[in-house]
Amino acid sequence: MTGSDKRRPRLDLIGWSATSPFGIGRSAFAEGLREGRATATALDHEQWQVPAGRACLVPDFEVRAVLGKKGTRMMNRVTGLAVGTVGELLADMDRSALTPETTGMVLGTTGGSVQSTLDLTRGSLSGERPFHVEPGLIPYSVMNGAAGQVAIWHELKGPNATLAAGRSAGVLALSYARRLLLTGRAGVVLCGAAEEYSTARAWLARHTADPAAGEPLLGEGCAMFALAAAPADAPPAPASLVGVKAMTCSDGNWAAVVRRCVEQVLRDADAKPTDVWAVSPSGAAGPGGDAEQAVAEELAAAGGIEVPVAPLVGEGHAASAAFQLAAVLSRAETDERATGRLSLVTTTDEAGTVAAALLRHH
Amino acid sequence: MDDVSATGGQRPAYDRVVVTGLGVFSSIGVGVEEFTEGLRSGRNGVSPITAFDTTGFDHANGCEIRDFDPAPWLRRWKQEELGRTAQFSVAAARMAVADAGLTDEELRARRVQVAVGTTDGESQDLDRLAADWVAAGPETWDPETARRVGAGRLSAAVASEFGLTDSEAVTLATACSAGNYAIGMGLDALRVGDADIALCGGADAMCQKSFSAFYRLGTIAPDFCRPFDKDRQGILTGEGAGVLVLERLDSALARGARIHAEVLGYGLTCDAHHPVQPNQSSIARCMQLALDDAGVAPQDVDLISAHGTGTRTNDVTESRAIRDVYDSAPPRTVSLKSMLGHTMGAASALAAVACSVALTEGFIPPTINHRETDPECEIDCVPNESVPARLRVVQNNGLAFAGNNAIVVLGHYPADSDSDSDLDADADVDAAADDVARS
Repeated sequence: MTGSDKRRPRLDLIGWSATSPFGIGRSAFAEGLREGRATATALDHEQWQVPAGRACLVPDFEVRAVLGKKGTRMMNRVTGLAVGTVGELLADMDRSALTPETTGMVLGTTGGSVQSTLDLTRGSLSGERPFHVEPGLIPYSVMNGAAGQVAIWHELKGPNATLAAGRSAGVLALSYARRLLLTGRAGVVLCGAAEEYSTARAWLARHTADPAAGEPLLGEGCAMFALAAAPADAPPAPASLVGVKAMTCSDGNWAAVVRRCVEQVLRDADAKPTDVWAVSPSGAAGPGGDAEQAVAEELAAAGGIEVPVAPLVGEGHAASAAFQLAAVLSRAETDERATGRLSLVTTTDEAGTVAAALLRHH
Repeated sequence: MDDVSATGGQRPAYDRVVVTGLGVFSSIGVGVEEFTEGLRSGRNGVSPITAFDTTGFDHANGCEIRDFDPAPWLRRWKQEELGRTAQFSVAAARMAVADAGLTDEELRARRVQVAVGTTDGESQDLDRLAADWVAAGPETWDPETARRVGAGRLSAAVASEFGLTDSEAVTLATACSAGNYAIGMGLDALRVGDADIALCGGADAMCQKSFSAFYRLGTIAPDFCRPFDKDRQGILTGEGAGVLVLERLDSALARGARIHAEVLGYGLTCDAHHPVQPNQSSIARCMQLALDDAGVAPQDVDLISAHGTGTRTNDVTESRAIRDVYDSAPPRTVSLKSMLGHTMGAASALAAVACSVALTEGFIPPTINHRETDPECEIDCVPNESVPARLRVVQNNGLAFAGNNAIVVLGHYPADSDSDSDLDADADVDAAADDVARS
């Protein structure tokens, strides 16, 4: 029942793009991934008030340099990443085929821009009067600020949602997009997730680091996908969404829940482990990530390939599952062995979410 | 599920979705009974804000839940493990599940969609991080607080509270219409067959960030919230949570559940116009989508629960959009924010609970603090006193920053058309009793 009902339309992935530590755009992502290029660089401490260290930043990403100076004066980084990535995605698509009113937009996040949120409150706490906050910051201090700006920039008037699910946000955005299509609320949905590097996020990561794993190497960026219900007679797109399943680990037994979630999404698709061509786990530190890794290794042993992403682009939090989806799509484009087979993306988040997405390559 | 995009009126019993549980924490009442009494009597939830230091603001009234005690509602979580907003979402979910007559074991045997809407997430924790940053720098942040601020926890904590595994838990961060988004998500998860039960609603806590932002925009009222009044001066921020249990009609009938209302449909649009200014045509389009999804015509709607913030812009824009869709003859249109304040992500969830109460209890909650209706807002806002009314269909508006509009349509259960169907004997008897009462 989860996502493979035969009577239902095929949900095609008709486009994707990414703004990642590999660079801006889909080809930069594909190239970096193919080369297995590590992206960590030393931080500029004039820009980031964090302890000495490294991070995987989108190279040369300054919002106003990338998007221009109009309408970007107060735009925060996560919004710039999302607006820019959707722009790249739409540039590769036939815009005339998109109706603004039926084009949806679903953006996954951890908590919007914690930096902008805290900046606003810090302004209230340190200003001469507590309401002397920067008005231009207000829309960006709310979690749906980025998705709202994407809609304005790209004239997307269909369902517009922001969902917060940490590392699993990219897969849950896909799940939400799927339902918008199955219920006819949208004809095409642009969905994905974004996370910015910021001083606030770096400190949050430092304070919450798993002591065994140490402080994570942070990444950032955005990946967006165009998902559409295919007409019955349409030739298949390079990939389609077969199913999405999300569960919750309530009792700390990550290994059992990850396994159950993966088994369920395969069963719903009438698929066997040997049908899986590629598997991409989140690479998260801790028991959730370890459980994913164990399942990924089993599937690889059964004849699949493993597509790790986090070791190259860092801990992307909300962007991570979106990057994993981009990675399997990207790898499949240059590997004919993928044709007719499946890719599995798994993800876990400390809050308890376990999720898996299954794609078929055509 | 033959046609998941069919309108409400065309759906068979196994594909209709009903509300079988309600949980509510609000400044005018905790629990459905107290909340109902508050709505009926037009209680004002306003008091001076205590959640943060209001020194320096010329006025600082809000709608707080004084003496909120989540402890009786938490079984698996300890209070100190959750921030105030997650305490709200978990406690309201507990209350809703109890109201639905479901045990934890019964929930665990089903696939459960959890959807919690929010504007500001774990906002009091974020306020604290900001204060610590100003005082001594982020190196002094408390790790426990830092661990709690991911907004995904508002929904994941609900799933964990019931020990659920087969549960997709999602936090919808679509600001002030997020509660309606969550209800829509629950409805769709049931309609497409992804879930057997949905726990959906919204939660937010009083915070300095939100208050300062609205104050800076000149939209905080000095004393009371007066929606649609010619002298309205803005919103009052509030807090709370509302959670609804949704399930398919056949599931509710099979387990003999009490049915509060039917979720007929909903609509979503995005203005793509301005980050904080509402857009009339986009709101009207959202209403039309919601009515179409519900399979009802404007003349079928007996009551609109407006977004009704009490700001100059919202109330004029929204009432004009209503008149566009309702061909200048709208039904009575009330703003619950006059009583509850603007509870942000909880607002449309609390309003949906209120709509459900209005349907079952047969009255229209008033728009309080009202003196003289703004001639630019051409609606009957039911000033100050609730009125008895037999309601069949109610529309619940939610509008938000970023142009995120979400509108839910609820219907009385049983519906008129159920009287000549053979759903089950009880429903027939209820419907017949309704017909008698109306004639």
